[in-house]
Amino acid sequence: MKRQKRECPESSNPFDVLSEEIIFMVLDLLEQNPLDKKAFSLVCKSFYATESKHRKTLKPLRQQHLPAVLSRYPNITHLDLTMCSRVSDASLSSISNACRFNLRSIDFSQSRLLSCSGLLGLAQNCKNLVEIDLSNGTELKDSAMAAIAEARNLEKLWLARCKSITDMGIGCVAVGCRKLKLLSLKWCLGVGDLGVGLVAVKCKEIRSLDLSYLPITNKCLPSILKLQYLEDLVLEGCFGIDDDSLGVFKHGCKSLKSLDMSSCQNISQSGLSSLISGTEGLQQLTLAYGSPVTTSLANGLKKLSMLQSIKLDGCMITCDGLKTIADWCISLRELSLSKCSGVTDEGLSSVVMKQRGLTKLDITCCRKITDASIACIANLCNSLTSFRMESCTLISREAFVLIGQRCHLLEELDLTDNEIDDEGLKSISRCSKLATLKLGICLNITDEGLMHIGKGCPKLKELDLYRSSGITDLGILEIARGCSDLEMINIAYCKEITDASFLSLSKCSQLRTFESRGCPLITSFGLTAIAVGCKQLTKLDIKKCHNIDDAGMLQLAHFSQNLRQINLSYTSVTDVGLLSLASISCIQNITILHLKGLTPSGLAAALLSCGGLTKMKLQSTFKWLLPQPLLEHLEARGCAFQWRDKVLQVSFSFYS
Amino acid sequence: MDPNNRLSGNELRNSIPNQTAFSHFNTQHPQKWEDPSLIDYSTRIEPPFQGFNQVKISQDGLGNEMRSTYKIQDWDPSAMLNNLSFLEQKIHQLQELVHLIVGRRMQVLGRPDEFVTQQQQLLNADLTSIIVQLISTAGSLLPSVKSTLPAAPPSVGQFGQLGGAVFPLPGLNGGVQLQNTNGSKVPDQPNQSDISANCVTEQNLNIEEHDLKEEEDADEGENLPPGTYEILQPEKEEILAPHTHFCTICGKGFKRDANLRMHMRGHGDEYKTPAALAKPHKEPSSEPTLIKRYSCPYSGCKRNKDHKKFQPLKTILCVKNHYKRTHCDKSYTCSRCNTKRFSVIADLKTHEKHCGKDKWLCSCGTTFSRKDKLFGHITLFQGHTPAISVEESKALVGPSDQKEGNQGTNKAGSMNFNFPPNATSDSGIQSIMDVKGNTDDPAGIFSPLNFDNFGGFGEFPRPPFDDSESSFAFLLSGSYNYSQKNEADDNSNNLA
Repeated sequence: MKRQKRECPESSNPFDVLSEEIIFMVLDLLEQNPLDKKAFSLVCKSFYATESKHRKTLKPLRQQHLPAVLSRYPNITHLDLTMCSRVSDASLSSISNACRFNLRSIDFSQSRLLSCSGLLGLAQNCKNLVEIDLSNGTELKDSAMAAIAEARNLEKLWLARCKSITDMGIGCVAVGCRKLKLLSLKWCLGVGDLGVGLVAVKCKEIRSLDLSYLPITNKCLPSILKLQYLEDLVLEGCFGIDDDSLGVFKHGCKSLKSLDMSSCQNISQSGLSSLISGTEGLQQLTLAYGSPVTTSLANGLKKLSMLQSIKLDGCMITCDGLKTIADWCISLRELSLSKCSGVTDEGLSSVVMKQRGLTKLDITCCRKITDASIACIANLCNSLTSFRMESCTLISREAFVLIGQRCHLLEELDLTDNEIDDEGLKSISRCSKLATLKLGICLNITDEGLMHIGKGCPKLKELDLYRSSGITDLGILEIARGCSDLEMINIAYCKEITDASFLSLSKCSQLRTFESRGCPLITSFGLTAIAVGCKQLTKLDIKKCHNIDDAGMLQLAHFSQNLRQINLSYTSVTDVGLLSLASISCIQNITILHLKGLTPSGLAAALLSCGGLTKMKLQSTFKWLLPQPLLEHLEARGCAFQWRDKVLQVSFSFYS
Repeated sequence: MDPNNRLSGNELRNSIPNQTAFSHFNTQHPQKWEDPSLIDYSTRIEPPFQGFNQVKISQDGLGNEMRSTYKIQDWDPSAMLNNLSFLEQKIHQLQELVHLIVGRRMQVLGRPDEFVTQQQQLLNADLTSIIVQLISTAGSLLPSVKSTLPAAPPSVGQFGQLGGAVFPLPGLNGGVQLQNTNGSKVPDQPNQSDISANCVTEQNLNIEEHDLKEEEDADEGENLPPGTYEILQPEKEEILAPHTHFCTICGKGFKRDANLRMHMRGHGDEYKTPAALAKPHKEPSSEPTLIKRYSCPYSGCKRNKDHKKFQPLKTILCVKNHYKRTHCDKSYTCSRCNTKRFSVIADLKTHEKHCGKDKWLCSCGTTFSRKDKLFGHITLFQGHTPAISVEESKALVGPSDQKEGNQGTNKAGSMNFNFPPNATSDSGIQSIMDVKGNTDDPAGIFSPLNFDNFGGFGEFPRPPFDDSESSFAFLLSGSYNYSQKNEADDNSNNLA
């Protein structure tokens, strides 16, 4: 850095020729890795200044630094505080004073203990605030909502799981934020008909409304259906809505494009048909875990000519019902029959015959499906991009060859718990666009199959090999060679895996999630390789890797500065390793069960130095060994403890 | 034209001797009303304003006249004397005014006719009010001779204490009196309602609100064709009188005839006969009895027989309740909440049964016993929001204090909810000093004081009378009277 400075004296800075706009455009291309921009800003003062002006979004790790960071970046429009588990009044006021009119969007979805006076200041000072995410604010009260109501220009508001809010608070929001376009009230158990009804009356602009699991009844529906622009309505788990008074609605909401009525147990086909009458523009319909799908229910879909996506997860489906759906829907793109009982070869193939344009198909756990259906799908639905067929146990290994031969556009394929073998994988390797491949519990696959995948699917980003015990280092080597874009890999309980695999995987520099639970041969050496090579690593699970010790942790702490989540249970890590981990500033979530070398004082020291900790899973014995004031202090900082008293598992074998 | 006109207003005020309570009242009030309007006046000339002075004066006159009639009810020679001297003053004023006009006419020969006619109207109105007062003074002697009424209505006593400060309400009632005694409309009546449209709206508002109540006991569906029933219109005094039956011997009053008959037994044996004690028989039904319906003596009221869409009241009790609720001061205050006020004691008792149970509040200060009623109210009115309960909103109020200036109705509502009695004095001053500024004031500051008058109808346009009512409360407590008057003087001087 110093050398660069010397090389570019201010007089002859070649970047002076470039206008700021051009440098901004260059910076736009640096979005992928957050470290790139950091490096850029460290080059020289003018770069530093340019980067400060360029940055629009900010995701601070600690609220303590907010005032300084905000004064450095004056043009912030989006502030993501999900890393700050606690946002104090002081921070809120510094935000509201620094970002006055620039701030458009703020995310508190992981932050707790927000005070309503702080929110009030924010709403009053940041007049251009358009989006606020307050999800998981379980302690937010109505007064906080009254504060939010001061943000008159608010268009999007997420309040999922704000359980303490009542109709009164929502009423304030409804009156104050007239421009609301999106409102999510999922799990706001205190909000009922009155609050929702008032929202529908006052906020005429609403496009998207999530009312999942609210104790609402039919009373608020008339005003909701009168909303002129409503496009997306989620009524999941609204048990209070039933058929009886739905019959009154002769015309549903005309603008509706997506309707989710999952788990509405009290709505049968009659209620549904009256609700969707008149909604000719409906494109997405979700009826998961609802009443049985029969011919009469499917008949209700007759008029929905625009319907593109149907999700019937977990429903009982009759063969005739499936046939009727196939008949009425003109151009279905997406069909989800996950965990549906009653899906047979006859029904499924009748759908596939009619709907050849399907791009997404989910038949997870449809256990009656046989090769016949798969042959049908493979032959007719050549445009499939996503196919999920976990646990379709009757399908023979030959069927998978067919899929690979015909469906070349596949991007996502879930074959978990199936009979697929290396031949199948070889065939599937023809899907060159494949990005996600799940081969968990596929006991018939070996390194040979993986070799084909590694050669044929260079775009692979996610690979799941959970408990596919035939895999060894060779297979992983092939994958690491061929799929350099890999972001997620799961090799849990592949017991043959050694440090060699880790060494080869360390070439995948994009790796973010790494799960290698129960690989007993892994040592700290392998982990070090990953730490050095995969700078993006955010999630790491090395539970039950007994050979990993403090040496690995020290390296990890040094190189993986982006690590957020780690599971260290049953490893050989001691106080030293844990303490060194605590120096990673991003670390939020630690699980440490059954660490033999852990002492209470070491744990206490580690906990104290982890400033950003939000979740800690510990053995319940520590609850009594740690000083109570320490726990209180940590909880006040925003850390939640989960205490487990699992008995030490001696045997790890899953399959004999 | 306008500078002259204003000048005349000023001179008129100055010319009035400033000694008695009445004259004090006179000097004070025109200022209150005039200052803001004068500002307007100088910038734009509109016909409604031309009669402004004149109307104002007539209202003053009416206000006094009305109070005088109240006093007369319990025939009091000193009050009578007071009245007469007041009339004398009034005539003197008029004389001076005419002098002025004569003098002015010399100077302003080139003025349009409008001005002259306006002056004439002014005189006319004053003269009318004097005549009316004379008549009522004389006329009100009659009942008082017959029976010396023991007590005037409670509200009268209150007015007496307040001196001249309670202009608006008597002023309005004066209008009624005027019509009752005169039998014909005063020439400037329409004019008055035009200009003081605000006060009319308040009346209407009250009427509307109470019509709702009345329609319960009054007949809603009854559609008697006009002429098929006999209309009785009790006098105001009759309505407000606590007793309707009087002993002809000792003068004692009773609410029920039966009680009077029991009382009469004490005056001699002749009243103890079964015939005397029996319920007096109704008229023999030889002639077909016409259905009786009642009219409210208040002119302009929907229940008044002269109203275009006259709706008669069914019984005398209906008239009484209607009149008290709609056209009278609300003198019964709830002892629990100290905010809700009623003019009918039964209403107070009904309210006291439920008072304190209203936990659902709106930002306008209205409380509801049921959440769905509150939400219905909020649905109906723009800008009203649910008010979060006091203990919870404390955290909210704290920081909002510093931004008092641009507070929305919401916070004002939630803050004012537990208002101390003194808190309103500011607004009282403010409202007096610039009546106009507050005419279009949203529900914000005044809501706690006003809502009891308006029930749930806080969002209706707020007439200046509201302000004078809050000033009324303020005048009771503080001695700002003087400074405020000075202020007004200053203003007018600046303008002159």
